[in-house]
Amino acid sequence: MIKNYFKIAIRNLLRHRLISFINLFGLTVGFTCCLLILTYILNELSYDRYNKNADNIYRITRTFYNGNGDATLKLSTISPPFGYYLPTDFPEIQKMTRLLNIGTTSLRYKDKLLNEQDVYCADENIFDVFTIKVLKGNPATALKDPFCVMLTEETAKKYFGDEDPINKVLRGNNQFDLKVTGVFKNFPSNAHLHPDILISFNTLKDSAVYGEENLRKNWGNNSFLTYIMLPENYNVKNMEARFPAFLDKHMAGQEYIGQQASKFTKLDLQKLTDIHLHSHTDYEAEPNGDIKRVYIFSAIALIILLIACINYMNLSTARSSLRAREIGIRKVIGARKKELILQFLGESVLLTWAAILIAFGLLYVVLPWLNTVSGQNLSIDILLKWQVLLPLLLSPIIVGALAGLYPALFMSSFQPIKTLKGLFKVGGSNISFRKVLVVTQFAISIILIITTVIVFQQLKFMQNASLGYNKDHIITMAYSAQLNNGYESFRNTLLQNPDIKEVGRSSRIPTGRLLDGMDAYAPGNDSMIPVKADIRYVAADYDFIPVYGIQMAEGRNFSREYGTDTSNFILNEAAVKAIGWKTSQETVGKNFRYDNMDGHIIGVMKDFHFESLHQTIAPLILKMPAPVPNQTYYNAISIKISGQHLASTLSTLKQTWEKYQPDLPYQYTFLDENFDKLYAAEQTQETIFATFACIAIFIACLGLFGLSAFAISQRIKEIGIRKVLGANVSGIVGLLSKDFLMLVGIASVLAFPIAWYAMNNWLKDFAYRIDIQWWVFLIAGIAAALIAFVTVSFQAIKAAMVNPVKSLRTE
Amino acid sequence: MIKITNLEKIYRTEEVETVALNKLSIEVKGGEFVAVMGPSGCGKSTLLNILGLLDDPDAGSFVFNGIEVAKFNERKRADLRKHNIGFVFQSFNLIDELTVFENVELPLIYTGVKSADRKKRVEEVLDKVQIMHRRNHYPQQLSGGQQQRVAVARAVVNSPKLILADEPTGNLDSSNGNEVMQMLTDLNEQGTTIVMVTHSEHDARYSHRIIRMLDGQTVLENIMV
Ligand SMILES: Nc1ncnc2c1ncn2[C@@H]1O[C@H](COP(=O)(O)OP(=O)(O)OP(=O)(O)O)[C@@H](O)[C@H]1O
Ligand SMILES: [Mg+2]
Repeated sequence: MIKNYFKIAIRNLLRHRLISFINLFGLTVGFTCCLLILTYILNELSYDRYNKNADNIYRITRTFYNGNGDATLKLSTISPPFGYYLPTDFPEIQKMTRLLNIGTTSLRYKDKLLNEQDVYCADENIFDVFTIKVLKGNPATALKDPFCVMLTEETAKKYFGDEDPINKVLRGNNQFDLKVTGVFKNFPSNAHLHPDILISFNTLKDSAVYGEENLRKNWGNNSFLTYIMLPENYNVKNMEARFPAFLDKHMAGQEYIGQQASKFTKLDLQKLTDIHLHSHTDYEAEPNGDIKRVYIFSAIALIILLIACINYMNLSTARSSLRAREIGIRKVIGARKKELILQFLGESVLLTWAAILIAFGLLYVVLPWLNTVSGQNLSIDILLKWQVLLPLLLSPIIVGALAGLYPALFMSSFQPIKTLKGLFKVGGSNISFRKVLVVTQFAISIILIITTVIVFQQLKFMQNASLGYNKDHIITMAYSAQLNNGYESFRNTLLQNPDIKEVGRSSRIPTGRLLDGMDAYAPGNDSMIPVKADIRYVAADYDFIPVYGIQMAEGRNFSREYGTDTSNFILNEAAVKAIGWKTSQETVGKNFRYDNMDGHIIGVMKDFHFESLHQTIAPLILKMPAPVPNQTYYNAISIKISGQHLASTLSTLKQTWEKYQPDLPYQYTFLDENFDKLYAAEQTQETIFATFACIAIFIACLGLFGLSAFAISQRIKEIGIRKVLGANVSGIVGLLSKDFLMLVGIASVLAFPIAWYAMNNWLKDFAYRIDIQWWVFLIAGIAAALIAFVTVSFQAIKAAMVNPVKSLRTE
Repeated sequence: MIKITNLEKIYRTEEVETVALNKLSIEVKGGEFVAVMGPSGCGKSTLLNILGLLDDPDAGSFVFNGIEVAKFNERKRADLRKHNIGFVFQSFNLIDELTVFENVELPLIYTGVKSADRKKRVEEVLDKVQIMHRRNHYPQQLSGGQQQRVAVARAVVNSPKLILADEPTGNLDSSNGNEVMQMLTDLNEQGTTIVMVTHSEHDARYSHRIIRMLDGQTVLENIMV
């Protein structure tokens, strides 16, 4: 019996090649999309699961509240005294390990001199918490002594080649020597952070580096990733409930003088395995994923598969009149309804199976594409586990049944005498059901078109928005304290090149985040009173504002002509407003206290987008700290160039750099590159949306193509008669397309509110966003109608051109 | 074997009501060969469909092999049909996607006969209708007469007690027609009951008895000698 079904199925598929092809192709594309997205999703869900104790590891985060009780900042990092006190106050903590990213660090071994980004100070027990294989050295003791360092295999190879790295010495920032005590395997790609270089935490105790006292008392330096391991099935609520008391006890008289610390700061426990998809703090070790994206892509995968299934239902029921006779004969001979249902389901399952197998093959081809556009490193291996593979290979039963059930029920209920009587027309409820299916497909397509256009518009808006500063022709480099003394002469040397316009220093540069904030006081009635707003801080020198072309609303920039500017401040308009002052004019000249330093406000900058357009413009204060020997508040040099003679400009830069700081690597970035990275996630989303929208529309069109071919073939005789009676080609094409265009119209009406709702929600993530324009909807509707018309008229014209004598004779 | 009494079948379409069978009563005994004749539209096919359990009557009684089947549901009818009744149609009604062999095999598949037995039985009947050499051809590759022989083979492969034939020679020339009639006669001689609708007096002469119908009723019965 099965063999017989199988045979009939294959022959039927071969017999109606066009329709089989459309069905197979649609399902294959649908499954390929699903497999692609499944690969992506499984990878997203696998983050940090490689750790043996993944379920019992938590990261401690800190949230800051302003005087009004609003959360102003949430960090995934906390200050070192927390780590100092936590293990004693919370005995349930089995292990605690901390990581401190020390920023760009130059390392030298012999003549190899490179800047490293992923350099962390790490507690010696890091490998007890994270399950990373240590290849060389003793994992328990390698990070015990100060000035010890462990490297990934790759990094070790980079510096030492094939030599044994153990006990070799690396010179860090030309300031300290680090002894290599171990080599570890790279953190896997699905880890939320990827340290390349681990320096022993005890190095920080050295007073020249950071100092023991700072580790106990510096509550303000919130840069330490702090992970704890708790007992199995521990209820974290238990611990979180005791945090406020803990804060009040230890921070009294430290950060929030005379006030309850727990009113201004809150600690939370974040599950390690939740970090990648659920953590959205203002500072993350590396850019994370987003559970929303996982949902969106799952929806897209299912939608595409649904469209393919709809094609199948549509085409199978449409074609069913061709099979009516076969069904009738089978029934006369004694087939039961159940047997026929099974037969038709068998056909759809078989086709679906073929589709998923081909899809696996296609996956090998398209996965590299997805990796390129998404910047991911996805591998098909994640699917090749029986837990995944088995359900996948069984899924055609469900998908095939979904696609095939309606046609099967529909066809198996044909009455044999009617079907055998000859001309059998499928009509009635079946036609209206098919219309519902076509409307669904088109509604989905229209939604996808609208979505793509709006994502594209928002992206363009962000890229072209007036930022309030000029991001073009700016080169940024790392600044180090070693340049403190030589800086003015370094700067003057550069400026001798006419293509170098401005050179300035700052602690942070635009396109980055603004995460530093200190206590601010403004003049009250008779004394200085605390400012409730949270004002972010950037250390900047005389030339920061000119480099970026930032406009002044009032007052002046720091100036070399005034000796006292190190105790003056510049605010932005947002800060003026946040403090509660009316105008920029009244602001300039006022006294102000920031970070326990008193001074005057000398200028107000017009607001500019220091951060990305995801964030609202934060209140900002610029301060030019007085120089301290061997220390720096600045981290970056920004250089404005003309943009002409780039090669000679860069060579001036290189020569000057090497003359002034031969021991630090020469490395630069164009600000535009940073800028592009700000919206990389949206860019990816746009590409993927557009691609999947095209695929969905394409499959829907294929279905429409098949359906119209069929619908028209049933009307060949009618067309012939109409032509004999005098209808012309365009009249007939109009007649045949009219029905389908009406379906597109209905689809639009359904799609518009859904698309509007979805995109309205999506746009809410952006502080600065476009308004949704009505014409986008119109265009999407027209585009869909046009696509439908072209698809249908392709068939319609063919039918209308046929000589009527021919079509009437075949009857 | 068949006893119908006061059988009624009325087709209702929108406004028109067509009385296809009007209180019809007929009896067919086991082993008989009955021909049904009458003008077009008098209800012959309707009668045959009901006898073949493809359709149900609106009123009246239908006793098949001593069982009242007029009120059987679709499933019960299908089960009774596949074991007891074979059909031969004017337009052959072979499945185009299946070969000759597979077409004939199909009823055996639906009655659950084992594969080895099926092969034997199909080959037997194909031999009998002399189409064995074409067993792997598709219906389109055969002449009308050959197709009808395959259809007959398919009708008898299950050794049904009753064969219903609706104008089996209608699409055939006289020599092919005679061949098919001879096959039906042979089957009848081996004990199969046959009810055949025909427009041809010539074909009707192969039967034992002719039932003449008009407007859904029998008007005359001729016993052939
Ligand atoms: N499905 C149907 N719906 C409505 N009326 C029908 C239907 N089938 C048959 N009829 C009507 O019932 C009557 C009997 O039809 P039937 O097919 O039994 O005639 P017939 O004797 O077989 O004719 P012919 O010799 O032309 O095959 C006819 O008047 C026909 O129009
Ligand atoms: Mg008839």
